[in-house]
Amino acid sequence: MAELWEVLTEHFPELSSGFWVTVRLVAVSFVIAMAVGTAVAALRIAPAKPLNWVGGVFVELFRNTPLLVLLFISFAGLRRAGLPVNAWAAGTASLGLYTAAYVAEALRSGVFAVGKGQIEASLSLGLDYPRTMRYVILPQAFRTVIPHLGSLIIAMIKNSAIIGVSLLALDDLLHQARLVNSRTFQTDETFFWAAVGYLLLTGLTTLAVRRLEDRYAIHR
Amino acid sequence: MGYLFDPQNWEWVTTGNNLRFLLEGFLVNLQIAVIAIVLSLAVGLLLALARLSRLKPLSLVAGVWVDVWRNLPLIFIILYLALALPAPWKDFYESIVPSFFPEALQSGRVFAGILGLVLYNSAVIAEIMRSGILSLDRGQGEAAASLGLSRTQQLRYVILPQGLRRMVPATVSQLITLNKDTTLVSIIAIQEVMRHGRILSSGFGAFTGSDVETPVLQVFIVIGLLFVLTNLALSRLSRRLEVRERKRTGGTAGPVMGVEDQTALALEAR
Repeated sequence: MAELWEVLTEHFPELSSGFWVTVRLVAVSFVIAMAVGTAVAALRIAPAKPLNWVGGVFVELFRNTPLLVLLFISFAGLRRAGLPVNAWAAGTASLGLYTAAYVAEALRSGVFAVGKGQIEASLSLGLDYPRTMRYVILPQAFRTVIPHLGSLIIAMIKNSAIIGVSLLALDDLLHQARLVNSRTFQTDETFFWAAVGYLLLTGLTTLAVRRLEDRYAIHR
Repeated sequence: MGYLFDPQNWEWVTTGNNLRFLLEGFLVNLQIAVIAIVLSLAVGLLLALARLSRLKPLSLVAGVWVDVWRNLPLIFIILYLALALPAPWKDFYESIVPSFFPEALQSGRVFAGILGLVLYNSAVIAEIMRSGILSLDRGQGEAAASLGLSRTQQLRYVILPQGLRRMVPATVSQLITLNKDTTLVSIIAIQEVMRHGRILSSGFGAFTGSDVETPVLQVFIVIGLLFVLTNLALSRLSRRLEVRERKRTGGTAGPVMGVEDQTALALEAR
């Protein structure tokens, strides 16, 4: 037990800096995922077949490729191709695009839940398609899928651990734990505190999403 | 862009034994996936039942167990197990692994990988199964009870068949995630497709049978496409099952979006 506290007090700077790197990774990736995901969802439900098709291909490609493969493509692969990508750009873009495919699917189902009737009503009121989306459909769709987006953030927190370990250039929580472990060999203690860090993040996110849900979610 | 579409780079992939080497690695991934899927489904069902048990301590312990494992990153679990698993466990694995398994699966490290996959995925699947069972109308269990079925018989003949069937799409989407996650065992130096890709990337001209510098980008795009193909096949299969099921029962399965993981969380919230 004493050793447990010792590891925390001695290596708190490393572990806490790793914790915040993880938080920042997830935050940036989440912004990318929401922006791209919304755009792709719009493509998938647009009233034009080729656009639907483009959106569909994006979703199937990014959803079915392992995140680790995306990371290798965007970091090692692009570098070999002559693009000077750094670890942050590669990591957040990979995690962001990977999750964007899921966000797009969630939003699309949210739009379907809002229903065709509202789209038709809004079009017949004279709003054009983008405005119908912007003012009528998407606000409701987002609120319908709050629980899904919440579980996607939790998945992102967990998936972010893959970035640090595979790119080795980003000191996130798991990577820091690995570094501490390689110096101290106190595996159980170090990983215990890293686990606490991750559970704290996922737990707090779950609670925050529940609050949001209670206030804003539309249950259909 | 020039690099991406340079035919020389694509040709490289099929030069000599390169593609074959990648496919051999991919086969190891598929084998790990199959083992992990079977074990995760079995353990997941047990965990779901334990969570729904009327024995308060049992359901409490199962609940904490499930919540801890499904909220930790899988890569974290695998790394920790690889470092911390006692040597006798690994030796035990090496002694029971059938000799016809490929060499990559003979090492004790594989045990850490499979154990990690099962610990994580069984917890997620337990949540999916539990929410499927809970989504059933209470009346089902009550009707079965009033017909004189014992608690075990209710579960076996009435509740589980309906509850689990409902969650087939969500379970399959988790299994697709599991299939993708088999790449994570490359981190603990198991010789599967990512490792093979990296070996090729380190680019020994003599080894790869070509004097072109290894096109890392193309190698990993090919690996990605292998996963896209298998996962699309899996989801097609599940969709077909679902359609057949609906035709047969005329019922409507719960709407399922391809959201990764924790579909359960959303279903629970409904």
